[in-house]
Amino acid sequence: MPLQLFLLLIVVITALAFDFTNGFHDTGNAMASSIATGALKPKAAVALSASLNLVGAFLSIAVAATIAKGLVDAHLVTLELVFAGLVGGIVWNLLTWLLGIPSSSSHALIGGIVGAMIAAVGGHGVIWHGLVSKVILPALLAPTIALLVATMGAWLVYRVTRRVPEKRKLQSFRYGQIGSASLISLAHGTNDAQKTMGVIFLALISYGAASSKDTMPPLWVIVSCAVAIAAGTYFGGWRVIRTMSKGLVEIESPQGMAADTSSATIILLSSHFGYALSTTHVATGSILGSGIGKPGAEVRWAVAGRMVTAWLITLPCAGIVGASTYYLVHGIGGYAGAAIGFGLLIAVATGIWLKSRQAPITHKNVTDEWQGNLTAGIEKPQQEHSASAEPIAEPVREVTP
Amino acid sequence: MSAWFNYAAAIKILVFGLVVGAGLPALFAMGVRINAEGAGVARHGDAVAQRNRLVLAVSWLIFAMVLVAVTVGVLFVARDFIGHHAGWYILGAKHA
Repeated sequence: MPLQLFLLLIVVITALAFDFTNGFHDTGNAMASSIATGALKPKAAVALSASLNLVGAFLSIAVAATIAKGLVDAHLVTLELVFAGLVGGIVWNLLTWLLGIPSSSSHALIGGIVGAMIAAVGGHGVIWHGLVSKVILPALLAPTIALLVATMGAWLVYRVTRRVPEKRKLQSFRYGQIGSASLISLAHGTNDAQKTMGVIFLALISYGAASSKDTMPPLWVIVSCAVAIAAGTYFGGWRVIRTMSKGLVEIESPQGMAADTSSATIILLSSHFGYALSTTHVATGSILGSGIGKPGAEVRWAVAGRMVTAWLITLPCAGIVGASTYYLVHGIGGYAGAAIGFGLLIAVATGIWLKSRQAPITHKNVTDEWQGNLTAGIEKPQQEHSASAEPIAEPVREVTP
Repeated sequence: MSAWFNYAAAIKILVFGLVVGAGLPALFAMGVRINAEGAGVARHGDAVAQRNRLVLAVSWLIFAMVLVAVTVGVLFVARDFIGHHAGWYILGAKHA
């Protein structure tokens, strides 16, 4: 097999793996509040979100403006560089998932690619102006706008319904929530699956299997990306969902609907006005806002602070991983370089996964009482869990009581 | 400044975000409130509330409006797809 084809294969597999982590990292954006309020059972929520992500992915009709467009010099992109960038994105997604921190998958990918670019050709390969105006400033703006809108929404909702009996109120808003959460999932599939399609398409062009004049990526790219993101969503990033649904704010259904509508509206508006805002940043800002807007609600600012810190270091950290991967893969070079890089990625991913099993969070304990941190009170794996020696299949398996 | 920070888009997102993103849940909340009034279960001190079909109908009208808004949202997400495959260019869909 020629070296370039070998590299292309590795890039495609890694890109699909990134798409998968993108899905499970972001399930919480759409479904955290519906799970928290019991509007949807955890399994039903991820199933609904996964189906809508799948549909959303097919709704794209043009090649997504590739993720790196306007951020790095497209002429300098090589397959090794794309691979290194993807590794940066995946490792950061997995690490933040382990810690249960909702962080932006796009930032992780961009950080990885920018880091790899700096390693490859130095700082001049990066379009710094684009990075600040298209990535960094929107990251400050998105949660702020979402927070304001959701605060306003939640306050209005509680104000208007103060004479409605509690039980009736909570039940009505659960229905409202399902609609707005579905809208977020659909929009997410449309936007995020396209990013990976763009990356694979870029790799195909660089290999010569596709032309930059093509308007659509080949069908197999669309299908595999759609399936990867939907599978990731269904797998359910329960650790991130737990932080978003229980850690930040105790969410009631009226707050949930206010937060979800705020998120859905802002995501759609931002794509309409051509100002890409991260779904994760918007969703977390909205959930925080819905806590501020409800009279007497508790907002755990320490959890929010930890999260914001993670956002600040996402770009540099993913960048460092991307750069190191590039040095390694390019330094060794050839088949060995790519194979070792890929092997290390699998090793790191397995390590993080094993670490997560020490205090597993699944659809069963995702909404347990928050006791100070992500895993407090669920430190010990249950017997039925530890009995299984089959790691990969375990979290999605239904355990009959 | 404007080359670095797209403030025009940011302000538009904030303003429309407040109108739709906060307005829609508020509208739904009005539906819930009016529905409770119509069903005679809203709390007004000791006053005895009565069921009122007209008021109930108004609340369902409001819920229908919310449903229309969500449908428009879905069509908005799918607008390019619909335009491309069905030839109906709605809600600012791009002509392919």
